[in-house]
Order: sequence, then structure tokens, then C-alpha cells
Amino acid sequence: MARVISLQCFSLARLLQSRPSVRPTLLFHHPRFRPISASSVSSSISDEDYVSLTEEELMKQCEMDTFKASGPGGQHRNKRESAVRLRHVPTGIVSQAVEDRSQHKNRASALARLRTLLDLKVRKTIDLNEYEPPPELLQILPKKSTIRGADSGPQIGPNNSKFASGMQALLDLIFAVNGSVADAAKNLGLSTGALSRLILSDDSLRMEVNELRSSKGMRPLK
Amino acid sequence: MGKLHRKTLETGVEGLGDSYFTESLALSTPPDDPDPLDSNLLLRELQWLLQDATGDVGRSQNPDLVPLRADLGDLYGLWRERVLERRPFQYVVGCEHWRDLVLWVGEGVLIPRPETEVVVDLVREVVIGRSGRGDGEEVWADLGTGSGAIAVGMGGVVGERGRVVATDLSEVAVKVARFNVERYALKDKVQIRQGSWFEPLEDVKGKLTGLVSNPPYIPSRNLPGLQAEVGRYEPKLALDGGESGMDHLIHLCEGSVSYLKPGGFFAFETNGDEQSEFLVDFMVSKLENSFRDVKAVADFAGIKRFVTGFRS
Ligand SMILES: C[S@@+](CC[C@H](N)C(=O)[O-])C[C@H]1O[C@@H](n2cnc3c(N)ncnc32)[C@H](O)[C@@H]1O
Repeated sequence: MARVISLQCFSLARLLQSRPSVRPTLLFHHPRFRPISASSVSSSISDEDYVSLTEEELMKQCEMDTFKASGPGGQHRNKRESAVRLRHVPTGIVSQAVEDRSQHKNRASALARLRTLLDLKVRKTIDLNEYEPPPELLQILPKKSTIRGADSGPQIGPNNSKFASGMQALLDLIFAVNGSVADAAKNLGLSTGALSRLILSDDSLRMEVNELRSSKGMRPLK
Repeated sequence: MGKLHRKTLETGVEGLGDSYFTESLALSTPPDDPDPLDSNLLLRELQWLLQDATGDVGRSQNPDLVPLRADLGDLYGLWRERVLERRPFQYVVGCEHWRDLVLWVGEGVLIPRPETEVVVDLVREVVIGRSGRGDGEEVWADLGTGSGAIAVGMGGVVGERGRVVATDLSEVAVKVARFNVERYALKDKVQIRQGSWFEPLEDVKGKLTGLVSNPPYIPSRNLPGLQAEVGRYEPKLALDGGESGMDHLIHLCEGSVSYLKPGGFFAFETNGDEQSEFLVDFMVSKLENSFRDVKAVADFAGIKRFVTGFRS
């Protein structure tokens, strides 16, 4: 039989003379536990559309290497190690989360971060000869773009949640023209200056473009 | 009641300065300990301890001071037990964060493991796959429920028509599990019964839509060598799986034949590759024609941790 010990002995809970804490751990948002820095992964081209994968499908493409070689696990170990590190095998992109006390929640955060990174890092191939900007890209262009029809509605800025998908499409194009802002601008019916301003209006967009440009030996946009 | 500098709360020990908490970290790993405590983990635990002991921050007069719900000296007493006596952190604070739950745990009940979180996902997949089929009530069982972790988790995923019946032999486990069920307001959905494995389930015999269990599976001879936190503190009843470790697992596999309804789902957690492979073979060849789609499922470390399948 198990050691029968009355519930009274549960320590901190008793010490506090109340139920154990059920507050979510909001106090702790460790700035040091950020996903791996962008510079350590360079963009890759893929025809796979990771964006449309479900959680499970995406998870299946990942190795969760935190617990590799950690012995028999399960009932053998008291494992306070709830940190999760996901490696997305097809692209090599890594994301992690350690801020929560439950592995389950850390896995969800790591997966969400992985999605953001995939959006930023994985480029679709584009055939420039038949290029037509997709609607999500048209939406983030300034009105003066000559290819932007009236039906694209008002320009969507970086604070709008729809901006991200437009940004992906823009990065796909800039990647296809090897980082040349002038060439990309031509495809979008914009002046080089107008496209530069758009790129500089969002930090992650600017950083991605500049990373690509520096890998091609070009000056960064400022 | 104590007060703490906000900075301490955010960093764990920095800010406690020369106080005894930091000293304890130095004590934590005697050079000859074959199973040393990891100081990074300890630091994080210390941070969590302080977090759990934190009072209402919003009501503090001085924005730099965080009110504590306990005396620092008392907290230090608990911390010493953790570090010097290797009392599991979860018993020290009285809870474990598991999936999206915070479960009450204490001596006498197994601390739920992160590996086991997956059992609930396995059930959820089956529930989603079944949706739209049939219209009667669906009963799910969790045998050897311990803290009630799987049962409470399942209560959240079995859907409108589902309910959960969970059993445990241990009186403490039954109390703790009931407490956790109530805390998540699942009293109408999850019922905890005391008794050995299938014994309390006569009324649902042959009617179960699903049956899951994480029974004790450690071979008896391995018990003396367990990590201090486990071997010294967790109940033997929750760990000891008999000579091969599979005494209970085999009993559960056999019982599933008569307790599951046709098409019913099962999932068992095991000690790993060897036990899972053995059980898959056992269920396919020894209990022939009783089950279909029997397979081993890996945990996140790539170890074949679960055996799942369906009653034919
Ligand atoms: C490894 S623990 C699992 C606890 C919980 N399900 C979890 O995953 O955290 C095994 C549980 O089986 C229970 N147990 C052991 N022998 C039993 C028996 N004959 N009948 C019912 N439960 C039993 C123990 O009390 C313990 O709670």
C-alpha cells in the first residue's frame, strides 16, 4: 500500500493555508528565452507550403531534441526540465520555449514561434516571367502603385495582422530578384524610393531584406 | 509575512544577495553525488517557489517590494528539504504544472510526468475521429489515476457525450484526484472510484469507448537505483511493476478484451521500447483477433512509450 499520509502535510499549500497557487505564471516573461536569433538561419527556398500545415502535421516534421539521450524517462525520473526545443527537420530552423512550467505549454509556444520563423525564413519560388503579385501583397502597397487596383482597398500597415502574409509575398519577390529593390519595385509598379520606404516601415521586414542583401554583398537599406 | 524585492522575484537569487538561499545552491551538489542536482534547474525551481509564495503584487504599497504569503524563514526550511533531502520540488510546493493544468500533488501520489501528457492527445485524436458517429453516451476509463492527471485532462477532450471513470487502489490518490477534479469543475464529467484496476468498473463492463492507463511499470529490481527524488519519496505502489515490470500492463491488456466495447480504443504507457514491443506482440498473437491496429507510439524523446489500438 502507498504510504498513507494525510493531505495535511502538503507543504507550501499548508504553509500558505490556502490552495496551491493556480495563477498562471504571468510574472515571468524571460527576455533571455527568445527564439534563436534570425542571423543563425539563412533563408531557404521551398515549394512546400508550411503555412497551411496543421499543428500535428508541423509537429511531425520536427524533432524535439530537448530530451534526446536522457535515460529511460517516464516513471524513472523526476524531470523538472519542461523546456522544449524544436528542430524543423526540412529547414533546420530551431525554436524553443522554456518560460512555462508545463512541457505542453512550452511545446505550444515553441510551435507558434516556429511558425513565425518559417513565415520569415522560407521563401516560395517565383517565376518572374509570369509574375503577378498576389492580393495579400497588393494590400500592403501604397496607393500610388500603378498595378494596384481600386479593389485592393486601403493600404494595410504593419500593425494590421494581415500585414504578415503580404510581407511574406513581398519577401518571396525580393528573394527572386536577388535582393534588388529596384527590380522588385518595377514588378510592383512602384518607384525604388517608395518600395524602400515600405520595407523600412517594419523592423522584421527590414531585417530580412538586409540579411538577404548582405549575403549577396549588397549595402543594407537604411 | 515577508517581503521580497521585485528584482529577486524576477531573477531568482540575484537580489537575495548574501542570504541563505544562494548558499544552499552551493551546498546542493556534494562532489561525490552520483546523481547530482543540476544548478540551472535548481535556480529555476527557486524562482518558481518564490512565485508560488507571492502575494497580491497589485496591493503592494512600494512598487519595488513584492508581498510574500509566507515567512522567508519558512520558505527557506522548505528549500533546504528540497536541496539537502532531495524532496521533489512538486511536493515542496504542492502542485505540478501538467498540460494546461495545475494539479495538486503531495506525498503518497505520483507526480505526473511530461511524457504522460501525450496520452490525452491520443485520446483527443480518437474523439475527433469518432465525432458524428453514434449518439449515445461514451464512457472513458483511466485506471490507476494517481493525481487524476489523465482523467482531468480527458474530461476536457471527450466531448459533449463523453464522461470519464477513473480508478485507483490508493486512498491518498483517490482523495487527491477528487480534489483536482473538483477544482476544474468536472464533477459531473469525471468520477473517481477506489479499487483495484477493473474491479470498480463492473457497471461499464463491455461498454467502454476507451481505456487508458499509466500503470506502475518499473521492474522491481530497478527500484533501489532510482533518482533520489523518485525512490525516496514517490509511492512504491505507483512505480513497482513486478519482476519484469509488466505485471500490471499484462493484466490491463487482458482485461481490455472484456471491458472495451467493439471498436473501443486503448492506450497504455510503458517503460519504453522493450515493453512496448513485447506488448504489441502479446496483444496481436496471444490475444488473437481481439484487437486491431495495435502499435507502439513514440514519446518526444523517440522512445516507444505507448501501446495503442482498438478492440475488434
Ligand atoms: C505510475 S502511477 C500513474 C498515476 C497517474 N495516472 C499519472 O499518470 O500520473 C500508477 C498508479 O496506479 C495505481 N495503482 C497501483 N496498483 C493499482 C491497482 N491494483 N489498482 C488500481 N490502481 C493501482 C497507483 O496508486 C498509482 O496511482
